[in-house]
Amino acid sequence: MISVIQILLIAGVLLLAVYSYRLFRSSYLDAILIILFLVTGVFFIFFPDTTTKVAHLLGVGRGADMIFYLSILFFAFLILKLYAKVRKLQQEVTTLVRKESIDKAIATDEKKSN
Amino acid sequence: MQPVYVILPVFNEGAVLGATIEQLLICQYTIVLVDDGSTEDILSLIKGLPVYYLRHRFNMGQGAAIQTGISFALRNGAETFVTFDADGQHDATDIGKMIKHLDQTKADIVFGSRFMSVTPSHISFLRKFVLQFARLLNYFFSGILLSDAHNGLRVFNRRAASSFNILENRMAHATEMLILVKKNKLRYEEFPVHISYTRYSKKKGQKLAQGFKVLQDIILYKLFK
Repeated sequence: MISVIQILLIAGVLLLAVYSYRLFRSSYLDAILIILFLVTGVFFIFFPDTTTKVAHLLGVGRGADMIFYLSILFFAFLILKLYAKVRKLQQEVTTLVRKESIDKAIATDEKKSN
Repeated sequence: MQPVYVILPVFNEGAVLGATIEQLLICQYTIVLVDDGSTEDILSLIKGLPVYYLRHRFNMGQGAAIQTGISFALRNGAETFVTFDADGQHDATDIGKMIKHLDQTKADIVFGSRFMSVTPSHISFLRKFVLQFARLLNYFFSGILLSDAHNGLRVFNRRAASSFNILENRMAHATEMLILVKKNKLRYEEFPVHISYTRYSKKKGQKLAQGFKVLQDIILYKLFK
């Protein structure tokens, strides 16, 4: 018997897969990775008890807990990655804006034009 | 006299800008006004005044504006650089004394300090407390302990200017400058300056909450540089 949460989760995973494929349909490798994630996700949603077995191997009591710990780690890593990216972009924008402002500098008394 | 380049970062300070520019022009300084994406029309305010006018297309923050001014002055062959707040809190006559001090001590950079002044400016208790805390934080991050933490008045030579590459666009640049001074082994000095806390500069001044933002920026700077 399939529960409501399983339906919701599977729908979510499917949406994610479709969305990420649309975003990054650059190579076969990406597609294979996405399908791999999709299959593992759906597998664990259908057979949640299997995660508990993996959890026991790692010394965690419950499968859900293990997934929780791993996701925290994953998301913290992701946020840092994104932040580094934002900073880099901001520095690039700053460089451009700076260059433009220096190139277009005006000497307002028009005596020492630059 | 060699031209002294005063870098004036401006963000919507039209109300007091005229007075600030005037007192700098009286001392015959070369002004590099960096309009940091102001929504006010700054250019028409300074029409006719002998000023270099640079404009950031977007508001990037004071640190970015100062670096733009430094880069421009470097390109113009400047030997003496000054950073000056546009909000009217500094006294242009302090600059000359600071330049003298820079020459006499053979330092690369002289920081203005409101706490070394013989006649201390009137500062509220909270502001004093925050500044004390900030100077300890600066020490913690840069290894340089100044008597004043966030004083916008600085005088430095070409050697210091060329070693500055300020990446912190917002207010954390003050700490970043200290870090760069330490890293590049620049000789630094402090010099007493006068700060006038007008109602205007108080309104524009940094609030405590912004202080935490600065702290956050510094930590991220340390992490991601």
